[in-house]
Amino acid sequence: MRQLLAFMRKELLEQFRTGKLVLLLICFSLFGIMNPAIAKLTPWMMEMMSQQLAESGMQITAVEVDALTSWSQYFKNMPMALIIFLLLFSGIFTTEYQKGTLINVVTKGMKRGRIFASKMVVMLAVWTLGCLICYGITFAYNAYFWDNSVAHHVFFAAVCFYLFGMWLISVLGMASVFCNSSGTVMLALGAAFGVSYLLGLFPVLKEYVPSYLLQSAGMLIGNEEAASYLPAVFVAMALFATESIISVLVFNKKNL
Amino acid sequence: MNILEISHVSKSFGSNKVIHDLSFSVPEHAVFGFIGKNGAGKTTTMKMTLGLLKADVGDIFVNGEQVTFGQNHTNRFIGYLPDVPEFYGFMTPMEYLRLCGEITGMPAAQIKKKSAELLELVGLKEAKKRIRSFSRGMKQRLGIAQALLNSPRLLICDEPTSALDPLGRKEILDILHSVKEHTTVLFSTHILSDVERICDRIAFLHEGSIALKGTLEEIRTMRRSENIVVEFLKPEDAAWFVGLCEGSVQTQTMLVTVCDSNGNAMHKVMQILLQNKISVARIERLEPTLEDLFLEVTGT
Repeated sequence: MRQLLAFMRKELLEQFRTGKLVLLLICFSLFGIMNPAIAKLTPWMMEMMSQQLAESGMQITAVEVDALTSWSQYFKNMPMALIIFLLLFSGIFTTEYQKGTLINVVTKGMKRGRIFASKMVVMLAVWTLGCLICYGITFAYNAYFWDNSVAHHVFFAAVCFYLFGMWLISVLGMASVFCNSSGTVMLALGAAFGVSYLLGLFPVLKEYVPSYLLQSAGMLIGNEEAASYLPAVFVAMALFATESIISVLVFNKKNL
Repeated sequence: MNILEISHVSKSFGSNKVIHDLSFSVPEHAVFGFIGKNGAGKTTTMKMTLGLLKADVGDIFVNGEQVTFGQNHTNRFIGYLPDVPEFYGFMTPMEYLRLCGEITGMPAAQIKKKSAELLELVGLKEAKKRIRSFSRGMKQRLGIAQALLNSPRLLICDEPTSALDPLGRKEILDILHSVKEHTTVLFSTHILSDVERICDRIAFLHEGSIALKGTLEEIRTMRRSENIVVEFLKPEDAAWFVGLCEGSVQTQTMLVTVCDSNGNAMHKVMQILLQNKISVARIERLEPTLEDLFLEVTGT
């Protein structure tokens, strides 16, 4: 336990002192502010352009925006936040392999599984915090400007996206155990998403692939049941667990 | 008792056989010099001892326990200084030692005390900045401090002096010598003067196996030179002597080397000198330097 805590503190210190943590938190906050801001600005922008549009023969009637507009922005922006997150963390293992910094740690008697676990916990903690910040800011502004109750299953839909991120974090971990450069880790992430997406094209498998969770915004307008996302949720969680276990087993025998 | 035992270990990388049936042991409280030219397999042997590389065949025991590849329990007995030590650049030396201490399970108070002691020992007491800005020599010193932090039974240093200036080298060697009482030191090098200065046992590694091993004394006696050198005061004495003494060669105007093949050359030389009343500057049995041995062993 002490090893785990010590190494987690090192990881957090690293993310903090290299500026990654601050950068990510700023990103998540900005996205959080952007969602309601875009929704709020839409009518104003439409009005600005209405003159032009009227000249070209388009008539703009009053544009209605509400919490739903803002929430749909949330689900459009979060994938970008996830990509930035994965890019920043793609080297969390590989830079240590390249520099050889883990050799010292391992020869000090650090259990290899704990190195893996510390890095995963720190990534998950930052991801959780980021999602909470973005969700919290959007939720608060929406509640202030409009009414959050017009959108259905908002929290569950956000959780779905959060779990999708968690799955990709476990893919990142597993790819990092097999690959030695951050470039190949990113490629592996792309490939994993690609496979999930392609499998999702088969109607039979559609609801069982993790990438199905990306469509969770469909629940907001209320014509989809939350239960239809449960299979994908379970698959994502099961993959997370299996990938983590495989990663630790392989990491135990990795040439550092 | 032997702190380290390597028995019949072989290792290849692809078709390149790096270690070939290597066996040797290191007794406790020795300073063991592991000598070999670049690429002889020194680092590979050390990495196998640490469980960082898998031996193809053979067993390695540290403090009586077998070394396993990957997750290796015997690492708790070992302090390791890699050839190019790399640390977390965003940390200060004190923070790094704290991390190391916590990993090895030392109590917090002891970590603090020992870190301060070691940083003073290696001369980094005043270095409060982050490791990123350290020079190679400073990293080497920090490397020694972290390797000694948990008072290991076996300290493995991979060419600890190769990147240092003469003063730094002397300091590092002094440190290695001073920890001998509590710790067995195994260090690899190709700087032979370092070996002569602090080692009590050595092993020459050549093409993946031990070419020569033993205590420094044993090795010197084993290879005692068969040559006697006589330095004369006058060149004509030298020439005169060569004419009288069988098996002697004049190497320089004043120097004559006598080959001692049957062990009585010393008496013969003295007898000739006495009978002919020749005074000499010196008579000396040539001691083989480690360098000669190294060259002889490596066949270059």
